[in-house]
Amino acid sequence: MMETALKALFILLYATFVGFMFMGIIRIVTARIHRRVGPPIYQPILDTIKLLSKKSNITHGVIYDFGVLYALGATILAIMFIPLGNIGVLRAYGDLILITFLLEIPMLGIMFAAMSSGNPYAGIGAQRALLTMLAIQVPLGFAIVALAEFYGTFSTYEIVMAQQVSGWSIAHLPLLLAAIAYDLVLQAMFGKEPFDIMIAPGEISLGPMVEFGGKHMGILQIQHAIALFAETLFFSNIFLGGAVVTTFASPVLNTIASLAILLVKQIAVLLVATFMGAIFPRFTIDQAAKFYWKWPTIIAALGAILASL
Amino acid sequence: MVDWRLFDPLFEYARKRSMWIVSFCTGCGGIEMPPLATSRYDFERFGVMPNPSPRMADLFLITGYVTPKTLKRIIITYEMQPDPKYVLAHGSCPLNGGIYWDGYNAIKHLDKYIPVDVAIAGCMPRPEAVMDGIQKMMELIETGEADGWKRYKENYEWYRKNQDELFGEGWREKTARRWIPWLMDKKKEVKEE
Repeated sequence: MMETALKALFILLYATFVGFMFMGIIRIVTARIHRRVGPPIYQPILDTIKLLSKKSNITHGVIYDFGVLYALGATILAIMFIPLGNIGVLRAYGDLILITFLLEIPMLGIMFAAMSSGNPYAGIGAQRALLTMLAIQVPLGFAIVALAEFYGTFSTYEIVMAQQVSGWSIAHLPLLLAAIAYDLVLQAMFGKEPFDIMIAPGEISLGPMVEFGGKHMGILQIQHAIALFAETLFFSNIFLGGAVVTTFASPVLNTIASLAILLVKQIAVLLVATFMGAIFPRFTIDQAAKFYWKWPTIIAALGAILASL
Repeated sequence: MVDWRLFDPLFEYARKRSMWIVSFCTGCGGIEMPPLATSRYDFERFGVMPNPSPRMADLFLITGYVTPKTLKRIIITYEMQPDPKYVLAHGSCPLNGGIYWDGYNAIKHLDKYIPVDVAIAGCMPRPEAVMDGIQKMMELIETGEADGWKRYKENYEWYRKNQDELFGEGWREKTARRWIPWLMDKKKEVKEE
């Protein structure tokens, strides 16, 4: 019991810290692509401290407060289900579907809060976020089906273990197709550029985020950090082979090596998303929905069919 | 309970190094913002980030001359920001009217309506001058001298009196009715019932 609690605490702290570093990396890499110097890597932590130390706070009711906490809670629950090297707290048979579901729940929480604030920009942003979520469901579902069909299991842990024997998922053609589709979906889940329709700064003033300030925004920053960590971790677990190192005698060394390997894979996933985000302009919502229902769906469906053959 | 005063130096440092600006690009100063944000002068080095929403903004940039129409928006946007908040007036127009010193429709002293922490002189100030102003603002935040938001609370009567003299009583309700008619009308209906 004590050990599980310690593990959960460790995962939470590690995910938050690395997530903040990821946010810093995104900002620095984007700045370098723009030929700027960019902020220091710990800038998101300073932002969060500043937001949490605001002296006045504006609330718009119970749902407004609850939605923010709901988003944070769902993200923390998701991170507990995803195997982090050989540390895992919660494990269930169908957790492949559960994690996919839990990674989208935070957006719903933010939408509750945004819509209860009554700001028209927040309403438009929430509508757009809902439409984007609707658009990404189809390729996401096909990609998950392809995975489950190929490995014959819905358990993330077993998929990671199977990859230690048969090589990375993306080495197999059907799963490579699924991975490409999932990576395109990941772009919308990060809210990066071609699909940042819901937050669209300068067009609809950050969309759902427009009314958040002070401590609410601080909690959302923490949530965003953990969500970044969780999404990249999930991708590197199911497609990039995860990391289960057993070469060393000491379990601590094994854990550190697994975490390091996972970190490299996560940063690779993150950088692909950042590069795509830095060079593409923004889609409109109908273009995004058409895109998702056409190309990633075709690719992922092809992968699912090939996997079941 | 934790005594949060212990962490005040950390908070001041974070406030200094992470100013999110909402810029009110009224006059010609708005054109100085793109060079500041892009690769030539890059103010993101100091954690300054342009932000469209007043709710999460710290630094309020007023870039250019102010007319009574825009002043209404400035006051309401300023009051929407959570404390602590800072105001940086940009150019000589908000200071003393600038070239509009005898204009019938320009506000000569912005300081009478909202507290200004740092004012940059010039017509227009070059991006270097604005960077200098931002540096000055960072110094003031660290030493705790940027207390415009405190002054606004303490002297609210005086600021309110000046604003009402210019716009007439009840201007907030009138403006709000124009901006958010559905909200104001609903309140009215409830009252009538």
